[in-house]
Amino acid sequence: MSYLSIQGLHKSYGDTAIFSDINCEIAKGEFITLLGPSGCGKSTLLRCIAGLTGVNGGQILLDGEDLVPVAPQKRGIGMVFQSYALFPNMTVQQNVAFGLRMQKVKGSEAEQRVKEVLELVELNDFAGRYPQQLSGGQCQRVALARSLVTRPRLLLLDEPLSALDARIRKHLREQIRSIQQELGLTTIFVTHDQEEALVMSDRIFLMNAGKIVQSGDAETLYTAPADAFAAGFIGNYNLLDADAASRLLLRPVNSRVAIRPEAIQIGVQGSIEGQIRSHRLLGNVIRYRIEARGVELLVDVLNRSPADLHASGQRINLNIEDNAICEVA
Amino acid sequence: MSHAEKRSPLFHQLVVYSLLLILLLPLLGTLLYSFSTSWSASVLPSGLTFKWYLALWSDARFLAAFGRSLLVCLAALALSLVLILPLLFVVSYHFPKLDAVMNVLILLPFAIPPVVSSVGLMQLFAGGPLPILGTPWILIGCFFTIALPFMYRAISNNLQAINLRDLMDAAHLLGASTGRAAFMVVLPNLRKGLMVSVFLSFSFLFGEFVFANLLVGSRYETLQVYLYNMRNDSGHFTSALVISYFLFVLLMTWAANRLNKDKS
Repeated sequence: MSYLSIQGLHKSYGDTAIFSDINCEIAKGEFITLLGPSGCGKSTLLRCIAGLTGVNGGQILLDGEDLVPVAPQKRGIGMVFQSYALFPNMTVQQNVAFGLRMQKVKGSEAEQRVKEVLELVELNDFAGRYPQQLSGGQCQRVALARSLVTRPRLLLLDEPLSALDARIRKHLREQIRSIQQELGLTTIFVTHDQEEALVMSDRIFLMNAGKIVQSGDAETLYTAPADAFAAGFIGNYNLLDADAASRLLLRPVNSRVAIRPEAIQIGVQGSIEGQIRSHRLLGNVIRYRIEARGVELLVDVLNRSPADLHASGQRINLNIEDNAICEVA
Repeated sequence: MSHAEKRSPLFHQLVVYSLLLILLLPLLGTLLYSFSTSWSASVLPSGLTFKWYLALWSDARFLAAFGRSLLVCLAALALSLVLILPLLFVVSYHFPKLDAVMNVLILLPFAIPPVVSSVGLMQLFAGGPLPILGTPWILIGCFFTIALPFMYRAISNNLQAINLRDLMDAAHLLGASTGRAAFMVVLPNLRKGLMVSVFLSFSFLFGEFVFANLLVGSRYETLQVYLYNMRNDSGHFTSALVISYFLFVLLMTWAANRLNKDKS
């Protein structure tokens, strides 16, 4: 029995459909990521679930109750925005307590709950500060605390990490995930960053042009892309058309083929001859651009030692195992 | 900045300071004149005195005019606050597309010279369903239109700076109604912009003469009209009046600047 069920959801602005006929089922306590390029409708879908944007048709069932006619104030949904949306005129304490004030939770109970949730995001020392006195990461933690304090039935995160720098982003995504697991909170997270999606989620809904293209756990999405878009968006797949694939593999191939760059092995025992065009060092990985049988391939190799580095122009043998070759529509 | 100033040639400083002097000289003359017992056929005044100020500030007619100016200005500002705040909120939150229309509308009071529009207003309000010519009411309405562009600009800039939509969304999801969110979240963040625009418009309206004289005149004597009516009186007395007025407006402008600086 799913906790959140979206059925035939449709949204359009005038004649332009943002998405139509979105269907999905989400279990209680699941961490779902809506992943997709900008403009794919993922943020709009999130805002529709929150009630901030109206829908043109369909149902959003949360715990069996249809949310579509319910006002956003009454949905019991917490949301964190990319811009933090903290109230600049209020301290951290007042920001977090705002939701409780609206629910008329008073006195010591409110104080206790604010304290608890600030401890959860490790900001209890900052209760008296104003948002402009905090860093971006701290602001977003306050925003998270503010949305958690009302004990929402569903937590929505709209690209909460996009405005932060890389180091804070990594730290905060782990913190968000661990808090989510600790509270068993059903969460929908929107991002355009595949790494975030792969690391954080129980399941990922990959969206493109207003449709959920593929849904599944990180491993499925990464190793078995459903179509060319999925293969192109996740990882750094080599996407070959049927002709190029036939030439490379020396057998007739009828559809497009996606090959992950780290699934190609290079070494003496390979059966395909190629020549290294260039290489780039990505830190722990070396990415080669290799031409083989008139097809250009990206190949990722672990950067074990400097001695392993192959120079540009060097001839080399490749091996592609059959299970690494993924036919996509 | 001080570094750049040091290196700037003497010529530049000369230009700036002489310009400043030219602007300040009449004011300094007036100031000195207002403090002098008599100053007619000599280079310097014959003596210094406070009596013109004492006379001015104990003149019931002056105090009444001062009070009327204050009242009309405050009423016009209160009216514009009450009307513009909700209007701006509705425009920027519900009808952002109307902002362009509003911007044109807001500039209209500038487009028509005061003398022209006051003649129009005189004809319109001399009789008809609303014969308010010669009463403070027409002045309040008219001052409202003058204050409108200042107030609207200041508040709308302030609104754009606070990411209204996300703040409202956040407040809604935390359970606040639109009215409550506007009152608790948006309004407190507009406070500074509001104060600054109110102070600036106040200084401006306080010195308004053309509309005040043409539409109402001596029937409801405001400060500038009083000054005009006293033009044949002692020059020392009117100088004291000008300096008093100037100090008052200076105080207002200074307060506005202080508030503006706090913002950054």
